[in-house]
Amino acid sequence: MHGFAYDPVHDEIIVTSPFAQAILIFRGGANGEEPPLRVIQGPHTQIIAPNYNSFDRATVDGVNGEIYVPIAPKSILVFDQQANGDVAPKRRLDGTQGGAIAVDPVHNVLVENNHDALMIYDRTASGNVKPKAVIEGPKANVGTMMTFQVYPPKGWIIAGCGPAYASSLAICAWSINDNGDVAPRWRLPAQQLSGGYQPSGIALDPVHKEIMLSASGQKIQVARPSSGIMNAVTTFYWPEIY
Amino acid sequence: MRKDGKRRNQRGRVLTGVAILAASAFGWRMWLEASGSARLISTEEVGEACERPVPAESPVRAASENLFAAFEPQSVYAQDSRTQDVTRPPLRYIRDSDPIYSYVALDPRRNEVVMLDSNLWSIRFFDRLENTPPGALRTEPKRIISGDKTVLAFNSCMYIDPQNGDIYSVENDVGNMVEVFSDSAEGDVAPLRKLVVTHRAYALAVDEGKQELFVSVQFPPAVEVYRKQASGEEKPLRVLKGDNTRLADAHGMAIDEKKKLLFVNNWGNISDLKVAGTGRFEEPSITVYSLDAKGDTAPVRVIQGPKTQLDWPGNMSLDPETGDLYVANDVGNSILVFHGTDQGDVAPARVIKGTGTGLSTPVSVIVDAKNRELWVANTGNASATVYPLAANGNVAPLRTIRSAPEGKQSLKFGKTQAVAYDSVRQQILVPN
Repeated sequence: MHGFAYDPVHDEIIVTSPFAQAILIFRGGANGEEPPLRVIQGPHTQIIAPNYNSFDRATVDGVNGEIYVPIAPKSILVFDQQANGDVAPKRRLDGTQGGAIAVDPVHNVLVENNHDALMIYDRTASGNVKPKAVIEGPKANVGTMMTFQVYPPKGWIIAGCGPAYASSLAICAWSINDNGDVAPRWRLPAQQLSGGYQPSGIALDPVHKEIMLSASGQKIQVARPSSGIMNAVTTFYWPEIY
Repeated sequence: MRKDGKRRNQRGRVLTGVAILAASAFGWRMWLEASGSARLISTEEVGEACERPVPAESPVRAASENLFAAFEPQSVYAQDSRTQDVTRPPLRYIRDSDPIYSYVALDPRRNEVVMLDSNLWSIRFFDRLENTPPGALRTEPKRIISGDKTVLAFNSCMYIDPQNGDIYSVENDVGNMVEVFSDSAEGDVAPLRKLVVTHRAYALAVDEGKQELFVSVQFPPAVEVYRKQASGEEKPLRVLKGDNTRLADAHGMAIDEKKKLLFVNNWGNISDLKVAGTGRFEEPSITVYSLDAKGDTAPVRVIQGPKTQLDWPGNMSLDPETGDLYVANDVGNSILVFHGTDQGDVAPARVIKGTGTGLSTPVSVIVDAKNRELWVANTGNASATVYPLAANGNVAPLRTIRSAPEGKQSLKFGKTQAVAYDSVRQQILVPN
């Protein structure tokens, strides 16, 4: 599993099942072999997963009650969060790149992390539309990770930076209002600080002003973690972004 | 396909490998807790934690207030600022310092049991008769293969050549290869050869008579058959693949050389990857084929249904004397034994299960036909346990090789690529 989401508004976990072309919505406190609350699956869903890394991530906007899933080759499907069964998506955004996505319901934008760029769309965009802003370039130094986050109260995009695929050497913060080759405001050199873990996933805890990073040893660019333990979740204190 | 508004127990689908960990909000000593089970304490201390405020409000209210506060415009502009580095070390780590075993194999020439570890990325060798004494911290392996040159990573299966002891291992993630090590390999050594296989390869099996190497592929589901000595980009001799095969998220395999049969177990997640909306969840199964089957060939029989108790079946092994098929039943926390002739919705002939067995998320079994024993690799507690081959029920193991202290509960991390935070419960969600 490369990416999934937790929605505190509805207390639900949203995750994809790529081989079965399904979106599973679980109760937030689900445990053991507890079945999902709802399953979105079927011909009307338009869900397809023909490539490696396709339909392997989901994000949720609990404020507007919507689930977003990137599908290959180049689309994002948006479902009502309460959808169940063989239902069509509410919207479909085409021309995207199949990368990780995050939604900012305050600024009403959808952000996609595509290789070395952050593409910013209107949250309700549909069809084949161009992004309204693109953060990329040598100063921006955007990387690629399996997931990234936005922090809507302050308008931060928290994503990987540094040359990488599926994992990055550092985590950076850009503004949701940035466009072009813009340097990040903050940089957390996670690989260097953590003893070698190159993060691939990000989670935010605004209450404690912390950020959690998952790492799995994939695509090591520098060296193995000094501990020799390949799988880890690391927590940093990062009050500046909150 | 599910009906609207209804829940149904979908075994094998629910557990997507999400481990829910509760992180204490206080101090740097952290509790790792899976709901409803014994607690595991992380022993990792990462130095001084920065002072941080303790929230006075409840977690639910905190999450809600944060959400509503978000509607006040407070956007920042970073365009003209120089990048500032954060230099604080991590507050905490969640990681398992012990091996997480994904496979057990036997080397009868050396009288050794060999364990495959997907956490520290290693292969570990022990005497077959080793039995970790109660109270001992662990049994240290006789030797270890590990390091960058080995290209070991998230390996899921091994095969040990009964003639020369060569060690075959398949990587289940982005490695996309089978590595072959010499029987005397130790330390950070390169494999003798590497064979590129299809992405998501899971299990290996060998037909020694025909010198053919079988590789199962989870998705799109297939069984690829190579020359046993194949290397590099060599193509398979044949491929079993297609809708009629009823392969569906293929996992463990076993070969009956006498009867010329191939057994494959399936988790049941299936779709036509080229057609949107064709996905479905089928019951887990064991599909049986002629050993030379290829193309879109239907199985000769199928074991499938609720009586089978199959629940994320892992690696399998066949007793060449009786033809019985042993299945490591991961989520079922059991070993299922079927007759090789079984088909349909049948109960296993025997089931090893219970609190006295020492089983903990078993993912691999291997039959020791010579000594009439059955070995199991337990992902859940960094151990290998061995039983009489005819064992049934809640039986204690004959011996246990532990690579961790007694009572160990593994994090069972298997490639931690994503993470989420449950702000309501203040828990970290980690899939693998």
